[in-house]
Amino acid sequence: MSFKNKNPRDVEADLVLSDGPQLTRGEKFRRGLRAQSGWLFVAPALILMAVFTFYPIIMAFIHAFQEDYNGANGTYSGWGFSNFVHVVKGDLNRGGADFLQCLVNTLIFTFISVPVSTLLALLISVALNSIKAVQKAYQTILFLPYLTNALAMGAVFATFFTVVGTKSHTETVGIVNLVLGLKDNPINWTDVLSSPKWELGRITIPWANYIVLMVYEVWSGLPFKILILFSALQSINKQYYDAAKVDGASRWTTLWHITAPMVSPQISYLLVTGIMGGMKQYSAVVGIFGEKMGLRYEMGTMVGYIYNYIGEDKYAGLAFAGSLILFVIIMIITWINNKVTKKRTTYR
Amino acid sequence: MRISIQHLTKIFPSRTKGGAAVHAVEDMNIEIPSGKLVGLLGPSGCGKSTTLFMLSGLESPSSGQIVFDDQDVTTLAAEKRGIGLVFQNYALYPHMTVRENIRFPLDNMRIKREEGNARALDAARLVQIEDLLDRKPNELSGGQQQRVAIARALVKMPNVLLLDEPLSNLDARLRLQTREEIKRIQRETGITTVFVTHDQEEAMSICDIMVVMKLGVVQQIGEPQHIYDDPNNLFVANFLGTPPINIFKGRIEGGKVYIGDEAVSSTEFADQPVYVGIRPEGYIYDPKGVFTLDVDHIEVMGRDKSVVAIHQSSTKPTVRCIIDSDVALPEGATQLRFNIKPYKMFLFNAESEVRLRVGEEQPVEEDVAVVEEQPTTDQRG
Ligand SMILES: Nc1ncnc2c1ncn2[C@@H]1O[C@H](COP(=O)(O)OP(=O)(O)OP(=O)(O)O)[C@@H](O)[C@H]1O
Ligand SMILES: [Mg+2]
Repeated sequence: MSFKNKNPRDVEADLVLSDGPQLTRGEKFRRGLRAQSGWLFVAPALILMAVFTFYPIIMAFIHAFQEDYNGANGTYSGWGFSNFVHVVKGDLNRGGADFLQCLVNTLIFTFISVPVSTLLALLISVALNSIKAVQKAYQTILFLPYLTNALAMGAVFATFFTVVGTKSHTETVGIVNLVLGLKDNPINWTDVLSSPKWELGRITIPWANYIVLMVYEVWSGLPFKILILFSALQSINKQYYDAAKVDGASRWTTLWHITAPMVSPQISYLLVTGIMGGMKQYSAVVGIFGEKMGLRYEMGTMVGYIYNYIGEDKYAGLAFAGSLILFVIIMIITWINNKVTKKRTTYR
Repeated sequence: MRISIQHLTKIFPSRTKGGAAVHAVEDMNIEIPSGKLVGLLGPSGCGKSTTLFMLSGLESPSSGQIVFDDQDVTTLAAEKRGIGLVFQNYALYPHMTVRENIRFPLDNMRIKREEGNARALDAARLVQIEDLLDRKPNELSGGQQQRVAIARALVKMPNVLLLDEPLSNLDARLRLQTREEIKRIQRETGITTVFVTHDQEEAMSICDIMVVMKLGVVQQIGEPQHIYDDPNNLFVANFLGTPPINIFKGRIEGGKVYIGDEAVSSTEFADQPVYVGIRPEGYIYDPKGVFTLDVDHIEVMGRDKSVVAIHQSSTKPTVRCIIDSDVALPEGATQLRFNIKPYKMFLFNAESEVRLRVGEEQPVEEDVAVVEEQPTTDQRG
């Protein structure tokens, strides 16, 4: 019905109605209450988060700025930045771990192993996706490490690389040395003392140890990444590949110009979560290189550094300052990630 | 490019043990002269797409040959055939702009960027989307996407253009407009084109040659008007024409064609049960006519009017007769009598459903064998 055909009184009635009925005060109050009732539902979660997440974060923040904070009795001598100064200067007298070493280690581990692992996962997923017959079996094998404990896996992984025995009398050189043909002159991949090193001022890079850790990181990161990418690949419409074939695209072109962009949301998800996980790396290093992450944290990570100091009553302030720095670094990386992926990712 | 399809067959093996294999295309033989627009027409699942995919090289035939000019391309890879293919749902790459989509085949041919862009622009101009080059596919309407797909297929100057139901996603208006455009582009470029559709009107309106298929078997090949006027069998007669042909159960007895008790025409064929097909436009109103119909209602459509009627021998619930609007019909009549234009009436053997042709021996063996394999139930209803 058009507006013109309406009787003017009807039109008026419509206008009044559209203004909404007049509310009494009690009704208004009840409505307001109902609008707020959502809080009731999130309250349990909020309370738990307040106790176990927000409170520790705030306390860490406070302790980081307390000078000479003592973890045992909670005393401190004043407020200031001395914890941060000690962290950055690398005061080796206080406990033994050097923050700069741990920071460099963590960054190198992460920014090499995560991209390599993601790329490898993409290639493997594409290969898996094209071999229909063996998909199930491969899936299981590749997914196993995902279900296995990182510490146990790290310990087992270490035996592949470890030389047992003395220089004059070696009992086993480890499977890796055997495969590389270094039977007579084995490298002790997991031993920090004898690992070949590059010295860069304060920083030591025991590269043989680095290789072990990164191989482990890449390998243990594969299953989850393959799982994600594989299922993403399976949801790509086959017609794009047919179109690419008709358009004369080579396999390589198809991989880089069709497949990869189509799974780019998944790739960026894996890179972001992988990098965040890498920045918090701890257990695998301990599993392979022991509790001290080498002799004196040569293979240390930032979380390793924090963990080392949190237990030392006198130096707990260093742990809080370190964790705050880690927090800021992760924030910056996440921010950059978001900037980059927004530009580069195709959403369908 | 001339295309010759010889004994082309595609059998999809069954997935389950002991299940029946699907004969998607069976013993197809078509000769397509260079520069023609050929329409593959048939109901859903009759093997049109499969045929197209075999022509493109995406599907390999079970047996038979495909020859382009003088080159046997049966086993040639898709990318080496020099064909352009427009998919049923376009398959534009969603992460590339329109320009990148169109240029993609050229990039794969390692053509320089500037030349590629220039050619992409030419192709875009041909389908009138040169203003949309920097958009992504999801920012385009269905009709625009379809034109991008055509541009992408045309940009490498293919020898053969294959289109798989390219208009099925468009609304009625756009469909009409775009099919004219496809015809225009095909004329302008002179590329041999195979066009798949299940819409007989679409096929009739733009094709030079029409191929009617049913359950993987070619039923008839020829110019659209010719097939319409001279169908080979009941299926083809039924499939072509809107509104569809009226079909009656009838018989031939002593040189006369009977529908019910009325002799509607004389004939030289032997006595046998038949289906009588009469095109809606084949009726002439005549108070003394030979064929009586019970009127249900009359629809006046401006140019002409339809008498919607009922007849007990009809295989469909209603019979539709289209007559000129200036023919005066008696007011409120419940029965009307008609004469029938002889060239609008076809007789089919009731069993084989093959057309009885005047002055010609029936090609009984071949066609009967083909038709017998198919269930006949889906043809009337
Ligand atoms: N990969 C396949 N495996 C098994 N059977 C198939 C396969 N592809 C198609 N078919 C079967 O082959 C027959 C023909 O299919 P096709 O896709 O060529 O039909 P169509 O004529 O294009 O139909 P539509 O108009 O619905 O697109 C169908 O019965 C279909 O089920
Ligand atoms: Mg199809």
